[in-house]
Amino acid sequence: MKPIRVLIAKPGLDGHDRGALIIAQALRDHGMEVIYTGLRQSAVQIARAAVQEDVDVVGLSSLSGAHKSLFPKVVEALAAENASDIPVIGGGVIPPEDIPYLEEKGVTKIFTSGSPTDAIAVFIKQMMNHEMRTAPKKIAHIGIAVESLEMALPFYQDTLGLQLEAVEEVDSEMVRVAFFPIGDTRLELLEPTMEDSPIRKFIDKRGEGIHHIALEVDDISKRLQQYREEGISLIHNEPKQGAHDSQIAFIHPKAAAGVMYELSQPKKEE
Amino acid sequence: MTDNHSSNEKWKSEVDKIKQRFPERKERFHTSSDLTIEGLYTPDQSHSYEKDLGYPGQFPYTRGIQPTMYRSRYWTMRQYAGFGSAGETNERFRYLLKQGQTGLSVAFDLPTQIGYDSDDPMAEGEVGKVGVAIDTLEDMEVLFDRIPLNEVSTSMTINAPASILLAMYIAVGEKQGVKPEQLTGTIQNDILKEYIARGTYIYPPKPSMRLITDIFAYCQENLPKFNTISISGYHIREAGSTAVQEVAFTIANGIAYVDAAIEAGLEVDQFAPRLAFFFNAHNQFFEEAAKFRAARRIWAKIMKDHYKAKDPKSWKMRFHTQTGGSTLTAQQPDNNIVRVTLQALAAVLGGTQSLHTNSRDEALALPTEDSARIALRTQQIIAQESGAADTVDPLGGSYYVEALTDGIENEVNEYLERIKKMGGAVQAVEDGYMQREIHQAAYDAQKRIESNEDIVVGLNEYKLDEEIHPDLLRVDEQLEANQVERTQKVRRSRDQDKTDECLKRLRQAAVENNNVMPHIVDAVKAYATVGEIANVLREEFGEYAGM
Repeated sequence: MKPIRVLIAKPGLDGHDRGALIIAQALRDHGMEVIYTGLRQSAVQIARAAVQEDVDVVGLSSLSGAHKSLFPKVVEALAAENASDIPVIGGGVIPPEDIPYLEEKGVTKIFTSGSPTDAIAVFIKQMMNHEMRTAPKKIAHIGIAVESLEMALPFYQDTLGLQLEAVEEVDSEMVRVAFFPIGDTRLELLEPTMEDSPIRKFIDKRGEGIHHIALEVDDISKRLQQYREEGISLIHNEPKQGAHDSQIAFIHPKAAAGVMYELSQPKKEE
Repeated sequence: MTDNHSSNEKWKSEVDKIKQRFPERKERFHTSSDLTIEGLYTPDQSHSYEKDLGYPGQFPYTRGIQPTMYRSRYWTMRQYAGFGSAGETNERFRYLLKQGQTGLSVAFDLPTQIGYDSDDPMAEGEVGKVGVAIDTLEDMEVLFDRIPLNEVSTSMTINAPASILLAMYIAVGEKQGVKPEQLTGTIQNDILKEYIARGTYIYPPKPSMRLITDIFAYCQENLPKFNTISISGYHIREAGSTAVQEVAFTIANGIAYVDAAIEAGLEVDQFAPRLAFFFNAHNQFFEEAAKFRAARRIWAKIMKDHYKAKDPKSWKMRFHTQTGGSTLTAQQPDNNIVRVTLQALAAVLGGTQSLHTNSRDEALALPTEDSARIALRTQQIIAQESGAADTVDPLGGSYYVEALTDGIENEVNEYLERIKKMGGAVQAVEDGYMQREIHQAAYDAQKRIESNEDIVVGLNEYKLDEEIHPDLLRVDEQLEANQVERTQKVRRSRDQDKTDECLKRLRQAAVENNNVMPHIVDAVKAYATVGEIANVLREEFGEYAGM
C-alpha cells in the first residue's frame, strides 16, 4: 500500500514549531511520508506545496492566535488550486470555542494542546482508509441465538414459510445451526451445544435474540489491519476458518453501539 | 571516620533489605537532563568552599551576584505583557504597576517582531495577537503614556528589529524630558536563539551580528545603564531542550556575542557588564535551582579566565527568569498556578534578578487581567510570606544541590567544547546542530508523556471527564483595521521629505558599514515606520530563508 503523504505547515508569522516538528516525526514513525514547510508560509504557498507534493492531508499549526484568519485561507487556497479534496487539519493554541467556526470554514479537525500524537496519526489513517475503502457487499446472514432449534423452527418454517436449507453442527463454536435463505441473504438460528459455548453465555446474559450480523467482504485481511490501526476493538485480530471454507472475524460490539458484526469472506470460486 | 564508614555500610545494607520488600518506584531516577539521581547524597570531601562556592557577590558567584541578595531588595517582578493596541497595553501596564509590579516587560506582536507594518500583507491576521502592535513612534508614545521612563525599567522582547524599538524608546524618553543616559531596561536583541528556537529572524546571521554590535557600541556611549542584550535560554528550553542544553547553548551564544564585539573593536570590560541573560524555570525543582547556580559559575570562569576581563561586573551573570510556558496544560488550568509557584520558587532559590510568572490560562490564550494578577501575587507571596528571600542562597550546601550544580557544570562544559570544535555557535546554528539536539530532546519528552513514563497531572493522569473552560482574553477583531488606519494616517501627516532623507542616510550607513543606530534614531523621530526601516535593511542585508 502506498504510504500516506502529509504536509505539515506553519502559516503566518508564528515561530513556535516544537509541536509541528514533533507531529512530523510522530507521523513518520507511523509510516507516513511527511513534508515540513518551515516557518512563515502564506496560504497560497502551502496550497501549492500540497499540490506539488501530492499529499493526502495538510496539517496546520499556529500558536499565535491568528488561526481564525489563517486556517480558512489555506482551505480557500486549496480550493483555488482545485485541491479541495485534500483535507486540512490543525492544531496549536486554539480556544475550544473557535473550533466550530474553523470546522464551518472547512477545517476537518482541530487537535488542541495535549492531544497525543498517536490520536492524530490514527485520525489521519482513519480518514484516508475511509476514502480508499469500499463498503461491505451485502448482509451475508443474521445470526439469532435460540435455546432450542426444535422450539424455534416452527415460527420460521410454518409462520413465516421459509425453506430450511440445512442444519449443521459447528464443533469449533459449540453450536448447531439452522440455515434459512431469504432474498439475497440468510437467517441463521444458533443453538448452544455445550455449557461454555459463546451462544450459551450470550443467552444467559442477554436472553434469546439477534446475536450478530454478518457482512460479506472480499478484503478481510486488509480490513482487519485497517481496523487494528484505527484502534477499533476486535474479537479476532486475524481471520479464522468459518463454515463452507469461508474466512471470518468478529468485531467487538463496543465498536458499533452494542451490535456484534462478523466479517465474512466466502471461499473464492475456482 | 570508622564510625561514619560503618553507619554508611549499615544504611546500604538496610536499603538492600528494604528494596526486596518495597522495590523503588523506578529502576533509575534521573533529571530532565538525564543526570542520575542517587537515593541519598552525603558530604563531598573534594569540594573547596572558597574555590567552588565562595561568598555571594564574589567570584565564582555560585551563591549569587550580590553580597546580600534579597535581604536588601527583592528581585524585580516583571510581568511580560502586551496585546492589541498601544492604548490597551498601556492600560494593562498601569494596572500592573498599581498592583505592585516593579518593572515593565513589553510583548510585541509578530509583525512588529519581524519588521512588518500592520498594513503589510504578511501581517494579516497577526496584528495585536501575541503582543502590542507598534508601527510608528506615535504608537510608542501611547504605549508609555503617563509612565515616566526615568522611574521604571523596561524590558523589550525584540530581536531582529531591536535597534528600531530601542530608538523609539529613546525618542519617547526625550519627549518626556528623560535623557538617554537615564534610561534603564533591557532589549532582548539575541538573534542566535531566534534561528535556533524562536523564529523571529529577519536578516542572515552575519549582518544580524553586526546590528547587535552596533547597538553595543551605541549604548556604551549613550545609554550606559541599558542592558544591550538578553542572551536567552528561555526559548531554547521552550522548544524542548533539557536544562543542560538550555545553559550550554545560551552560554555558547553568549561567547559568540563577546567574540563578535571584540572583533568589532570593543573592549571586553566596556560592554560585558551590560550583557544580561534570560532563563526558563521548569518543573524539576532541584535541577532548576542548581542550573542557575551552575550557569553563574560557568560564565564567571569564562569571562575571567578565557576573556581576561578585569572588571568584576564583567564576570557576573545577571539574569531574568520566566516560568516554563510549555509546562502549562490546557486541561484543568488552575493546576498551572501550582506549577508556576514551584517554578518561581526554584528561580528565587537560584538567585534570579527578575522574574515573570506565567498565568494559568496561557496554554489557551493570552492572560486575562485576573489571571495576570494571580501570577503577580504568586511572586509577592513567595517574597513576603515564604521566607525564601530572607537569607542568601538557602539551598547552598545541600549535598544534593551542590552535586547537581557540579553535574550540570560538567555536562555544559562538554557541550561548549563540542560547539567550539564545530567553529562556534554561529556555525553550529547554521549547521542546525542545536536545532537537532533540541528536537530530539523534545521528541523524547513527548514519548515519555505518551507512554505515561512521565506524568503530567490532568493530562495523562487524574483527568476530568468534563474539562473546565475558563473565560479567555479575546483580542478585538476590529483592532487590525483600526491599527492599519492609524499607521496610514501617520504616513499621510508626516514630513515625507524628511522621512525619505533619514531612510536614505540609514541605507548609506548600512552600506558603508557605519553604525546604523544614530540614523535609526533620526528615522523614527521622523515617523518612519518599523516596516520601512526594516525594509531598507532587508534590501541591503538580504533575508534569512530558514533551515
